[in-house]
Amino acid sequence: MKLPGPERGGTLLPIAALFATAVVNAHHLAWWCLPMLTLAAAWHLRAVLRGFPQPGRVARIGFALILTVGVLLSFRTLNGLAAGATLLVAMTAAKLFEARSRRDWYVISGATLFLLLAACLDRQQLWRLPLYALCLWLSAAALRGLAGGAALPVPTLLRESARQLVYALPLAIVCFLFFPRLPGAFWAMAGDDEAITGLSEEMSPGRIARLTESDEPALRARFDGAPPPVAQRYWRGPVLHEFDGYTWRRHRGMGVGAGSPAGALEYGGPAYHYSETLEPNTHGTVVALEMSRPPEGAYVTQSADYQLLSRRPILQPHSYELTAYPLAVNREALSPEARQIDLALPPGRNPRAREFALRLRAQSADAAAFVNNVFAFLRDGGFVYTLTPQRLGRDSADELLFRTRQGFCGHYASAFVDLMREGGVPARVVTGYQGGEWNPIGGYLLVRQQDAHAWAEVWLPGRGWLRADPTAMVAPERLSRELLQFGDGLGSGPASLLGSRPWLTTTLQAWDALNAWWQDEVVGFNFARQLHLADRLGFGDRDWQTLAIALGAGMCAWLAWIAWTLRRAAHAARPDAITQAWRRIDRRLARAGLPRAPQEGVLAYCERLALTQPATAEALRPLAHRYVQLRYGPPAAPAELQGFLRAARAYR
Amino acid sequence: MFAALRRRLSGRIERWARKRQGTDSLPLQLQGRRLYILPTRAGIAFALLLFVMLVAGLNYSNSLALFLTFMLAGFMLVGMHECQRTLQGLELAQAQAADCHAGDDGLVELRFSNPARLPRRALAARTPGLADTGFELQRNGSASVQVKFHATRRGRQRLERIELSTTAPFGLFRCWTWLYLPVDAVIYPRLAGARALPAPAAGRLTQQSAASAPGEDEWAGLRPYQSGDSPRSIAWKSWARGAPLLVAQYAGSGGSDYLFSFAGLESLDLEARLSQLAAWISECARLDAACGLHLPGAEAPLGRGAAHRTALLRQLALYGEGTS
Repeated sequence: MKLPGPERGGTLLPIAALFATAVVNAHHLAWWCLPMLTLAAAWHLRAVLRGFPQPGRVARIGFALILTVGVLLSFRTLNGLAAGATLLVAMTAAKLFEARSRRDWYVISGATLFLLLAACLDRQQLWRLPLYALCLWLSAAALRGLAGGAALPVPTLLRESARQLVYALPLAIVCFLFFPRLPGAFWAMAGDDEAITGLSEEMSPGRIARLTESDEPALRARFDGAPPPVAQRYWRGPVLHEFDGYTWRRHRGMGVGAGSPAGALEYGGPAYHYSETLEPNTHGTVVALEMSRPPEGAYVTQSADYQLLSRRPILQPHSYELTAYPLAVNREALSPEARQIDLALPPGRNPRAREFALRLRAQSADAAAFVNNVFAFLRDGGFVYTLTPQRLGRDSADELLFRTRQGFCGHYASAFVDLMREGGVPARVVTGYQGGEWNPIGGYLLVRQQDAHAWAEVWLPGRGWLRADPTAMVAPERLSRELLQFGDGLGSGPASLLGSRPWLTTTLQAWDALNAWWQDEVVGFNFARQLHLADRLGFGDRDWQTLAIALGAGMCAWLAWIAWTLRRAAHAARPDAITQAWRRIDRRLARAGLPRAPQEGVLAYCERLALTQPATAEALRPLAHRYVQLRYGPPAAPAELQGFLRAARAYR
Repeated sequence: MFAALRRRLSGRIERWARKRQGTDSLPLQLQGRRLYILPTRAGIAFALLLFVMLVAGLNYSNSLALFLTFMLAGFMLVGMHECQRTLQGLELAQAQAADCHAGDDGLVELRFSNPARLPRRALAARTPGLADTGFELQRNGSASVQVKFHATRRGRQRLERIELSTTAPFGLFRCWTWLYLPVDAVIYPRLAGARALPAPAAGRLTQQSAASAPGEDEWAGLRPYQSGDSPRSIAWKSWARGAPLLVAQYAGSGGSDYLFSFAGLESLDLEARLSQLAAWISECARLDAACGLHLPGAEAPLGRGAAHRTALLRQLALYGEGTS
């Protein structure tokens, strides 16, 4: 088969589509992937233009092996989306070196579509949508260029494939809405942890020298009524119990499957019903407003320390329907094991803190008084809240409390729990988010990664676990930070710029609301929502069959529409004005009982008419002559044409 | 085994289609019920790709992946309709088969026209066992396509099924129709026979050549141009004066006249005799010698030129089949 020329759609479009799709995958490809693809594309175009020989079989097989090894070296696996996408790009690039036949180009186009799928599986943000659409458009145009027959110019291919995609859009929407989704998954995707920012499962107060001020969203919550007051907006994430002197970690016994004390929490006080869309995270905790009841049947359980744990990794944004009881408590006694876990400290660390805690505990009447005394020390001890503290050494609590006196939430929570445990009060570190920005356009509370927070919980006899936030003592303004109030002197970067530009704030809020809508209604569209939609459309039963009927009806309607629209264009075009005008006269005469035979010319018809209806024929003859003149004679002046059309319209 | 099964199946389908469609009459416009469509290999592979994409999208409950899959499915279905539309409404105005010798590939000229304002691309026509002839039609355009066919046997041959197909717009589907045209081709005998030309029958010949001196061309008059005449013999001067194309006729050119008959060919069977005669007639045409035919039921006077040669060969072609 002849190689399609590069100046035509034959090869240019598939290469462009492949390149664009590789670029939208760029974030998870190996670094060498795009340069290699560029090289392969350049080689191919040059080979087409100049015709220098393409590599032989041995070279190609060797090349493929080298690429596989390269992917293995980069990812240590061939499994997973990133490694798979890299391998696909590499192999498709290798295919470019030898692409000759139309079959090769079909393979390349298929690989391009698969790469686009990989990008969709990996990232579903709204801003990527135009990029994906562009890739789809190029791929569609590339496919159209493979039809065979004479090569078509690129603009024609682009125009026609765009029209084809527009025709396909209604079907895609119908299928998207009604094609029954699976409530579960057959298999899980191999993890790709690096990309996810935010809370982690650990906290190392000494090592972090700077907290990231990421304005990426962490979660969005839409409340049925008013949202809870600012002081109660604590979003509970991983709870950390074990401390080795450097790092706080979760306790294994508190994980999924550990005995859940859900019954032990007394859900009292005001309740807030809300639906939350959680961005992906690595720690598997459904970060929720304290204390939220686990939703029913959503793969979420409550652990012994009141975390909501998801049985499945949260790799995609997910929505949960939750109810929070901020005042819920558990007054039961602490078990000896739990007490031991939350009193344990690494031996020989922080001697000054230990001495200080013991002294303060001795001065306090009870545990509650001890907590208050420590709070007073933090409030009045000249401590500074900063996002860029000095690094801390081996005895991190000693250095923070008595030397540097500066840090952020993690430092204070860690030192506070250290003091509590030294003083014999069971305590633990809770990580999560605090606060949230009200988005008036979308009507939801947006919690960003920069709202990440760490606080403490202490257990007091008879009162159970209570929240104790040492950062609130050090920097009360951080917690009372009002909605929409940026630039509190702590943050830096874009956030502090916003205060003076309200229109920018509004624009960003609108964009975030749009993203939230996208996330909730499109990305988060699932089986339950499908059933809800079927219900709203007035289908009686909420089950599979209903969806199948809606899907079938929609598809039939679309097929009928497509068939009608496309077929119509296949037949003779609308006749020109002259013919139409004469057909009108024909119809009029046919109604009068004087039809013209199909093979009869208009002049012959006039002659025939003259035999029976001389008057009608006399009236018709000049028109017929003008018609014949216009139809078969030399090109006429526009005025002549208009005159004929007017006369034909006026014919009675 | 699969090949045999496939052959049997396609044989059945073809017989069914033949019975269903009957013989076409010209001019003809292609309508939906005679158009057949199936995915190509690439189309089947594409459908498999879509299935894999669908399963992946469902498994990960990934809305964007599912939407992409559905878009591509819609794209494919629109393409399927476009593919069928490429043939639908197409008009075949004329079909004419050129004469040829048995054993050669004959050409049938099909004149298609496109009544719609829609270009029709990647069209191809073929007869069984021969390669596609590609063509396309511009909007409201028309095109003549020459399609080869196997000329198997001397005589009047009804054209076999012609398959008109398209893979537009993207080669994932192939739509085709079968044309059973009421067109006959005249197949001359195979050009075969090793015998030398018989002796010229100069003595008992026509008046025109007897009157002329050997080797000297005598202008004999003008006759209207027929296709096949040599440009050299056209009377360009009279044409330049506004007359229609005329051809100058000369008597006595070449010098030798042949009158062919079965005499001397009795040892051969009928087809071989006819083949030998056809070979001789072609040889005469090459030598620009006048020749005639004298066969039972097929008489032709001496003559010269392409039209005459065609007439002789047609007589041979239809020998024994009754009057032409």
